[in-house]
Amino acid sequence: MKIIKPALAGTLESSDLQVKVAPSPDDTLEVVLSSEVIKQFGQQIRRVVDDTLARLEVKAGLIIIEDKGALDCAIRARVQAAVLRGAACEHIDWEKLS
Amino acid sequence: MSETMEFDTVSPASQPEALAAIRQLLADCQLELDSKIDVFVVVYRQGSLIACAGLSGNIIKCVAIAPQWRGESLSLQLVNEVVQIAAERGHFHLFLYTKPENQRFFTGCGFYTLVEVPGHVVLMENTPVGIQHYCQRLRMLRQPSNKTGCIVMNANPFTLGHRYLAEQAAAACDWLHVFVVREDVSFFPYAQRYELVTQGLGGIPNLTVHHGSEYMISRATFPSYFLKDKGIVDSCHTAIDLLLFRDYIAPALGISHRFIGTEPFCPVTNKYNEDMKQWLQHAHCPAPAIEVVELSRHVRNGQPVSASRVRRLLSRQDFNAIQALVPPSTLQLLLSEYAAEPAPALERYG
Amino acid sequence: MTLRRSMLFLPGANAAMLSTAFVYKPDSIMFDLEDAVSLREKDSARLLVFHALQNPAYREIETVVRINPLHTPFGMQDLEAAVRAGVDVIRLPKTDSAADVQQLEAEVARIEKACGREAGSTRLMAAIESASGVINAVSIATASPRLIGIALAGFDYVMDMQTERGDGTELFYARCAVLHAARAAGIDAFDVVYPDVNDEAGFLKEVELIRRLGFNGKSLINPRQIELLHQAYAPSAEDVDYARRVIAAAEAAEKAGLGVIALNGKMIDAPIVNHARRTLQRAEASGIRH
Repeated sequence: MKIIKPALAGTLESSDLQVKVAPSPDDTLEVVLSSEVIKQFGQQIRRVVDDTLARLEVKAGLIIIEDKGALDCAIRARVQAAVLRGAACEHIDWEKLS
Repeated sequence: MSETMEFDTVSPASQPEALAAIRQLLADCQLELDSKIDVFVVVYRQGSLIACAGLSGNIIKCVAIAPQWRGESLSLQLVNEVVQIAAERGHFHLFLYTKPENQRFFTGCGFYTLVEVPGHVVLMENTPVGIQHYCQRLRMLRQPSNKTGCIVMNANPFTLGHRYLAEQAAAACDWLHVFVVREDVSFFPYAQRYELVTQGLGGIPNLTVHHGSEYMISRATFPSYFLKDKGIVDSCHTAIDLLLFRDYIAPALGISHRFIGTEPFCPVTNKYNEDMKQWLQHAHCPAPAIEVVELSRHVRNGQPVSASRVRRLLSRQDFNAIQALVPPSTLQLLLSEYAAEPAPALERYG
Repeated sequence: MTLRRSMLFLPGANAAMLSTAFVYKPDSIMFDLEDAVSLREKDSARLLVFHALQNPAYREIETVVRINPLHTPFGMQDLEAAVRAGVDVIRLPKTDSAADVQQLEAEVARIEKACGREAGSTRLMAAIESASGVINAVSIATASPRLIGIALAGFDYVMDMQTERGDGTELFYARCAVLHAARAAGIDAFDVVYPDVNDEAGFLKEVELIRRLGFNGKSLINPRQIELLHQAYAPSAEDVDYARRVIAAAEAAEKAGLGVIALNGKMIDAPIVNHARRTLQRAEASGIRH
């Protein structure tokens, strides 16, 4: 999936996260993660994000994440929502989202 | 409880009647109503206004919450809402001005401090990598040089004065970086100004012309620069703009000298030049000091050459007088795009 | 017999509530993708609910998703997400006729097949929110074998009736009609949301009314109301005692191979035994009424 425009999903409320995606000027994939629980869960969150992006076949883009202690299921949902919005994707392949 | 609070938006242009309450709330919080707000996010409780946040382009300002409703929950919802509204309007990269004491709260909302004028104001942006990425790109354009100069010009339009300044600066340095102010609020659109600078500086071997950015004399870093006509100069804003230059842009390119023309006419530019010496050179700051070099204006026919003079002559369609002040590339553009009559042959102005 | 007294509404766009609501232990949790979700969040709420449904914490609780009506641009995507994520029950809003349920049933069957989910495992409930829905309640309630219940939704209904929420008089006919349709079809009946979360006395009065009418339970918007509702539905000590004796008599009769159950010399038939089972189930779930 190709990110063709900047997009935003999620909120900054507790137990949620905000995900911003933007096209990458040099066609690289960069994930910037900030989290209130980065020390304990940084690696875990990063794994969930990377896995979610890989299943959506996102190969390039700037992904900025502000995590407020969200569960894995919320992380997946918000990353997917931001990517689908940024890719202007109308047809959803649910198999890739589960 | 949040269920009793109602969020809405107010567009100052189409709902002037709703502004009275906003103005009052801002006044209660020692803030002024900014005339450039495109849209306000407002929060009502039982019919009365308890919070607001304004959006001016991609800049969040005029954020106020009635004292009895301050607290993480409402402020967070307010910021969240304004960020969403900005996204709907196509603004994803946001700037925010706030008082230094609110910095921590906004950090929790995904905003990152760019610069602080201690005790006065903080400029933040909503990305942890915005200016870092910008500086990375600048670093790739760095040149081997012991003495590296910089000029930031609006070039509205490019004149022989700009050419003279750049020639002098380039001669005094190993390499010169020229930035063109990117904000599109001047008489001449950015694309034209950039083009004229590139053409007008042709033949000077040791310089690079750069596109300007939001981090340099933009509506975000320096709102009052674009209110020149009103003669308003806010020294906090010049400090913000200049500290951004000293802390981020100059180190990325290794800039050690900044060149400016003396400005006898324009109070804003004049004040800016004075502030430049203070913030780039004298102010205590972890980033290295930058020497500010003032060069006196290029004079033609006994009068200093300035872009504002060219614009005045253009409004009178006095191309004969303009011809003496601008290089051929600028003259050609003025004739082809801005002449009231069908463009006379360029040869007439040799 | 699934106990369905409390059905807690959760706004589908609220990550915090979706992440914690199981701790309140309602009988069912209803993730709302319809009225509680603003237009701009329809897509992201759908994804949140899709993933929340797959969270192991919701395995122990009956999950319901209120989708947008199928004629909106969101309804079909909501249905895809919910069925594929393994939801127990789809709640169809604004059901006016049996045809609405049948259309939903056909789509659910199609998605089950497409994603390899067991055919028929997605159950349905229909929310009745209009005068014509109330009039058609009988045919709606029998429109699909997948239906586990029908619900009355008060807010839209009173508007359709050109009135407003009051002491309950305005809902009296609709409640009776929906309830009778459900009972005749052998499915559950759910009452409206009580809108004022701060009015505990008003809430309990309404609960007492609908319990006596015979509703299985009620839709709730605040977790605080769950315990109040369960307590109101808990049987008294005498009820429990009587129910135990009924069940004991039934078991004794079955052991002895008798076709007739007797208690204290009186004959007991199947409805009494079923009622006793429900009483014990409620007692087990939330104790005895204080």
